[in-house]
Amino acid sequence: MLYALMGLGLALITGVLNIPNFAHGALFAVGAYLLASTANLIGNFWLALVVAPLGAALLGLAIEYLGIRRLYAAGHDYQLLFTFGLALILSEAIILVWGPVGYSHLPPPVLRGGVDLGFTFYPKYRLFVMVAAGLLVLATWLFLEKTRYGAIMRAGIENKEMVSLLGIDIHKLFTAAFALGAYLAGIAGALTAPIRGLSPGMGVDMLGIAFVVVALGGLGNLLGAIAAGLLIGVAQAVVAAHWTEASSVVIYAVMAAVLLVRPQGLFGIR
Amino acid sequence: MGKLKRRDVLKIGALAATGLGFPAILRAQSREIVILGLWDQTGAFSDVGPLNDRGMRMALEERDMKVLGRSIRYITRDGATQAGASTRRAEEAVDGEGARFIVGPWSSGVALAVSEVAKRKKVVHLFSGGTEDISGARCHRYSFQWAASPYTAAKTVVDNFMKANPKAKRWHLLVADYAFGWSVEKYVKEVGKTHGIEFVGADRHPLGEREFSNYVQKAAANKPDAVAMINFGGDAVAGAREIFNFGLTPRLPLIMSWSSGVEELVQLAPEIRDNLWVGTNFYYTVDTPAAKNFVKNYQAQFKLPPGYAPSAAYSMTHMLLAGFDKAKSDDVQAVVKALEGLEMNDIVGPMRVDGATHQTLRPYFLLRCKPKGAMKHELDFGDVVATGDAPLPKEYAACKDIGPF
Repeated sequence: MLYALMGLGLALITGVLNIPNFAHGALFAVGAYLLASTANLIGNFWLALVVAPLGAALLGLAIEYLGIRRLYAAGHDYQLLFTFGLALILSEAIILVWGPVGYSHLPPPVLRGGVDLGFTFYPKYRLFVMVAAGLLVLATWLFLEKTRYGAIMRAGIENKEMVSLLGIDIHKLFTAAFALGAYLAGIAGALTAPIRGLSPGMGVDMLGIAFVVVALGGLGNLLGAIAAGLLIGVAQAVVAAHWTEASSVVIYAVMAAVLLVRPQGLFGIR
Repeated sequence: MGKLKRRDVLKIGALAATGLGFPAILRAQSREIVILGLWDQTGAFSDVGPLNDRGMRMALEERDMKVLGRSIRYITRDGATQAGASTRRAEEAVDGEGARFIVGPWSSGVALAVSEVAKRKKVVHLFSGGTEDISGARCHRYSFQWAASPYTAAKTVVDNFMKANPKAKRWHLLVADYAFGWSVEKYVKEVGKTHGIEFVGADRHPLGEREFSNYVQKAAANKPDAVAMINFGGDAVAGAREIFNFGLTPRLPLIMSWSSGVEELVQLAPEIRDNLWVGTNFYYTVDTPAAKNFVKNYQAQFKLPPGYAPSAAYSMTHMLLAGFDKAKSDDVQAVVKALEGLEMNDIVGPMRVDGATHQTLRPYFLLRCKPKGAMKHELDFGDVVATGDAPLPKEYAACKDIGPF
């Protein structure tokens, strides 16, 4: 579900803004660090879980408004270089603010330890993350499908010029889409912090997976991103149960297999 | 007289350089001793390389970058935690920079490849890691092992852990799947037999693994009395964190058999460290004059006390410099002979290099981490509860003949 959450955010940015956001992993890391700092500061994990992704969304908003907006006419090379450079800057900024050494952030006391599910033993916190990420994916999907602004975003993915001609401020749409994508990356990072811990490079692995999800689902396709996130998550879990050592490779094997059959991805049309 | 042509200028310049400049360069080159620190700045051990570099640099700076009255030129190369990159860069440093003394790299598997370069190029190679092969089956005259032998480590950890936890007879192992993991696993199982330990599971994971939930699920299903990890760095931290998240610790003891110490422990919250037993080649409270001095200077510069990585680089460099001093020469063969049988009192206490295998005979440490309430300060991770230096018994020794130069 976390993969779907990350992939959905990246697919939204790729779809609406039509740019490859290499800073998505760094926004994931920012979400994780903000959660740990906020929780330590206010002593409340749940409130921190609300605040941290909002911080990532604000950062996303600033990135779009101050940086990416100026590069829409410049072409993909410049956008790619900008987001790649931004990813490096954010990683170094994390080192400057929080230091180069990784650390752990514990789940809230009520979610510590594991539960016996009968067929397996599983950590309570991971179960919580599964449910929370599932609900977030559902909420995002409902927002995009059932609200007027969601419809505008989807229309923006299909045809930006048409949306613009209808009198909708396309720049505001871009900013909102980037901020929402950053929010999803931030909350994925915040939820992951107690599982994977915090380290300045933590976004790199997740960035690779997010791009796999987007490519697998079909570039910019939101439903595709959700389906692809679930597919590689399930594939990884099934392979890990029988052949643990191959659990990381299976993500890329699934992508290669699907793209050989459907080069446009599961739900893609381009 | 014709006009001076560009080609003539170049010729004159080349002659001038040959006649005037080169002897000076050559004199300078022959006077300085080039030492290579092959430390990973990228790849799975990219977090360790800078720490190795700190330790090595400190040892050299203590001597004002001089030995035998000559300047030391310390050069570093990124081994990239890969055998191909490490061997290529080591060869380039030997051929292009005149390096005849190599310290590093960090990964056992990669170091074995670099050891072959040292043998072929006939240069001195010092290494610290968990593989037994450098001072075992693949021993030769040019490579030396600073870390305790995997047998010494396993014996120290298993014997003393069992003394404190005699009922913990069912162990599940999580092992890093490369040379270091295989060597330590072998001896943990051998020593475990003498205590009647049943190994109910042993899962191997690749270097750089960060997702341990599936491994821990398997461990939990085996209902062990203790879980022992034979891995290092980020792998060990990720593993310990996941074992806590599953609720196995602190209910069960977790053993980190071959830990970097401080660098790993600082990444774990005190709750995760509860009931954690840590085997290590160095811990910053080791009570030796050399360690006290090193820890004080290191902390003054870097705030955190040093763990195994900077300490190993620091002490290996001490060892190499002691070799120069004893040999009174920088001739490779003379330094090798001087290092064979070298005795010194360094940061871990008394050390002796076994001339027959090039294994350093030295103490290994077992810590027990403190619960949060017992910590006196935030770096008070634990106490050294045992020290062991049992050498590898002859029946296990795979280095039958260290060979000629």
